[in-house]
Amino acid sequence: MKLQHYLGGLESLGPVSTETRVFVEEWEKRIFGIHTAMMALSSQLPLPATPSAFRTVWTWADLRKGAEAMNPFDYFKYRYYEKWLGGICGYFVANGYITEEELEARTAEYYADPDKPLPQDSAAPAAGTTIDQRVERYLMEGDSPKSDLDIAPAFKEGDAVHIRNVPSIVHTRLPGFLRNRSGVVETVYPGAYGYLTDTGTDGIGAPMPVYCVRFAVEELWPGNTEPNVTLYADLYATYVATAA
Amino acid sequence: MSDRFQYPNDREARSAARAKALEALLIEKGIINATTVDTVLKVFETRMGPFNGAKIVARAWVDPAFKQRLVADTPAAIAELTDLPEGMAGAEGEHMRAVANGEGVHNLIICTLCSCYPWPVLGLPPYWYKDPTFRSRAAREPRAVLKEFGLDVPTATEVKVWDSSAQIRWFVIPERPAGTEGMSEAELAALVTPESMMGVAVANAA
Repeated sequence: MKLQHYLGGLESLGPVSTETRVFVEEWEKRIFGIHTAMMALSSQLPLPATPSAFRTVWTWADLRKGAEAMNPFDYFKYRYYEKWLGGICGYFVANGYITEEELEARTAEYYADPDKPLPQDSAAPAAGTTIDQRVERYLMEGDSPKSDLDIAPAFKEGDAVHIRNVPSIVHTRLPGFLRNRSGVVETVYPGAYGYLTDTGTDGIGAPMPVYCVRFAVEELWPGNTEPNVTLYADLYATYVATAA
Repeated sequence: MSDRFQYPNDREARSAARAKALEALLIEKGIINATTVDTVLKVFETRMGPFNGAKIVARAWVDPAFKQRLVADTPAAIAELTDLPEGMAGAEGEHMRAVANGEGVHNLIICTLCSCYPWPVLGLPPYWYKDPTFRSRAAREPRAVLKEFGLDVPTATEVKVWDSSAQIRWFVIPERPAGTEGMSEAELAALVTPESMMGVAVANAA
């Protein structure tokens, strides 16, 4: 069990942060840009080839798996983009693009001289689609997980449903606080939705219906919530079963 | 939370050096170009950002039929607006749904598993939204959380909390503030903050 899958409802954490900035340090912008470029250059996307040497898959699921694999105390200790920096550096090392040694050596250089400029591109941009064009195109077009597969949903709006407690290991999109709970289908989304990766025994990946399910918070946290609150969650069909 | 942990004094300098080292290596190895990160950031400064959401909300305030269509079929309604940039169904906006605040209903968008956020119309998520403490607490005690943001939602008003756990990206149409009857759409859009479009604030007239 990963605490990161069970955050909803966790108690005694103290006050929330009301920080409205997106980035609180300049370096955070750089790691965000690197992540977004990786998603755009990821090999599974049906976008034009570029001269980029990136040849593997990187999606949100990879970033999330990294964060969910962290020691749960470190997950709370490190700020959002600190977790990204760790996960993305680890990916490039693990996939053989860079070595830990060269990353350490270069880090020491920039630590000693933070104003030392970034290198320039080693070669003039090749003809055809450039890396930056593909990145912009990915942002403009997105990567819809929706499929036209005609899969009849098992439930309709208003149906009472039971949320399964599937065996999630590495990654899931089923929040822990909804497992083994009862809800009512609020919306049946048209079509079917895939997920970025196959989560194994957790059960998502291939296209399936998705439901918006309504929960009474008094049933989720009896005697320990607030009045007149309703909680809704979008849930893949494999997580949703017939009410007992 | 962070005051519970020990950090090195050069915490940010270390991260800045490591991020720059990574970017340098990726450029040298031909994975990205020297311009790529700035290309990404420019999109979020000029094309994908809360300035789009603010225009959409302002239109909903002046045109009740548009507001109805925006709630019923969010992408189709957004596609009607010709003064928005390209890419409104782009990354992290492929499938969006808007919910409207109104008499007796206040909506709050959360993501307890990560930080799902409607990029084309709101840009990138602010730190409060990404923080695990917010994500944990807003599910069980949204009113207490909203109070910490300075927003008092009376018990008679239903709080609807939407957890973005699948592929739909959500945003809130806040209520139009009183005293804005003579305002233009551009003036109205200036009243709409990212926080009001996620439900931790309301739109205010001044």
